[in-house]
Amino acid sequence: MTVAEASARERDDAHTARLRARAADVLLALTESDLRARYGRGPWRLVKWLLDPFAVVGIYLLLVTVVLERGGRAPGLAIACAVVPFQLVMSTIVSALNAVPQRSSIILNMAFERVLIPVASTLTETIAFAASLVLVALMMVVYGIPPTFAVAWLPLVLALNVVLGVAAAYGASLLGLWLPDLRPFAISFVRTMFFLAPGLVPLSEIGGRANDLLRINPLTGLFEAYRSILVYGHRPAAWQLLYPLAAAALLLAVFVSVYVRDQREFAKVL
Amino acid sequence: MARVTADGVGIRFLFDRQSRVVTETLSHLRRRGSESWGLRDVSFELRPGEAVALVGRSGSGKTTLLRTIAGILAPDRGRIAVEGRVASLLSIDAGLMPILTGRENTRLLGVLAGLPRAEARRRVDAVRERTGLGRKFDRPVSSYSQGMRARLGFAVAEQSEPSILLLDEVHEALDHEFRTIVEERASETVRAGGIVVAAGHDHPMLERLCDRALLLQDGRVARDGPFDDIQAAYLGEDGTSE
Repeated sequence: MTVAEASARERDDAHTARLRARAADVLLALTESDLRARYGRGPWRLVKWLLDPFAVVGIYLLLVTVVLERGGRAPGLAIACAVVPFQLVMSTIVSALNAVPQRSSIILNMAFERVLIPVASTLTETIAFAASLVLVALMMVVYGIPPTFAVAWLPLVLALNVVLGVAAAYGASLLGLWLPDLRPFAISFVRTMFFLAPGLVPLSEIGGRANDLLRINPLTGLFEAYRSILVYGHRPAAWQLLYPLAAAALLLAVFVSVYVRDQREFAKVL
Repeated sequence: MARVTADGVGIRFLFDRQSRVVTETLSHLRRRGSESWGLRDVSFELRPGEAVALVGRSGSGKTTLLRTIAGILAPDRGRIAVEGRVASLLSIDAGLMPILTGRENTRLLGVLAGLPRAEARRRVDAVRERTGLGRKFDRPVSSYSQGMRARLGFAVAEQSEPSILLLDEVHEALDHEFRTIVEERASETVRAGGIVVAAGHDHPMLERLCDRALLLQDGRVARDGPFDDIQAAYLGEDGTSE
């Protein structure tokens, strides 16, 4: 490598580092403002953050596990392994549907990295979602299920959950802008996806053709991956990770490219 | 060094059959209605130390041109090159999020304007001083009057030390005291080799601020020249400034 090439490469590296730092700054600033808007500023915001998941899914879990007295291995925990990750995807989509119009005052006044808006929505919901893990840990204690070494796979499954959220967020942001009248239908569609996956009953308890068909839904692999680690204490099967990852990659490939093209025109539509 | 060069810039608006503006992707997915051009073949060069007024009737393309210079809209035809740090005050809300406080908006918009996070935090108190909002700075912007929002919006825009300042009518909503401050700051920007582009119908203010003007008609630059000549042409053609 010549001195000139080395110098050019150094400049490129420095430029890339600056772009990364800038993206991180913008992402954190957008997320921080979202969290302020959601949890307020007072001393109770931590309590609100911790209690939010209980309000959203806790009551539902109590109903299904205690009132309906479902059988099987740790039924409440098995349901939590579906409801909690689904909540991240669902709340990200709901948030992303309004993400662009909500920031219209900024978009109409200044240029910034608008491509990061759906990622910021996902990051906000991920922070909110983190409190849900307390709920899962609590259920493991209640059912007397100690964590095994398989828990080392949990960060990977969490990351997959977030990637699926980001992928859905780009599509939802575009839909919320293009067809705002269809927002309620989009939310209903995502809810339907939960029931077209083994949300209330683990996949192992579903037989016949339904078992095969449910695997088409990327949420199935995600839910089962959480169950493998937290309920059964073993590492998730490869398909449980790779299939949702492939679905997320496909969604990202389609929606990010469309979003990047359309974001140049947001100010015309808002 | 600040510089803005526009070469044959065109901005197109696409409509669906219900006359709603749609993006290009959506217009491909749905049956297209019509299209109109907000800017057509706009060419000019703004040099360091210039203050330029955009004059023309409502709907002539002033705001669209300011948004294109700000990088908010990308040209559908032609190209625009902008050298320098841009700060824009294109609406009375100036990008402020009503649910956030003045302090929180200052941090957020500072970062979005290009400041590193730590730097945006450091500059908050200076912005607070400049706005004169006192304790209200820590209250949600939704509780602010229009004038207070404009003060905050301008102070926030200024914090990034822009070399190109874009003002769109909003300065007309300011009280006399703060309008004087805006004019002083705009003049300082020009003296420091920056560029100011101001659009509006307050011609006395534009006259104090600008020595050059572009007259926009139906998205085209109809005339470009000294402010007095353009103003005379505009008022002569229209009989009134609006």
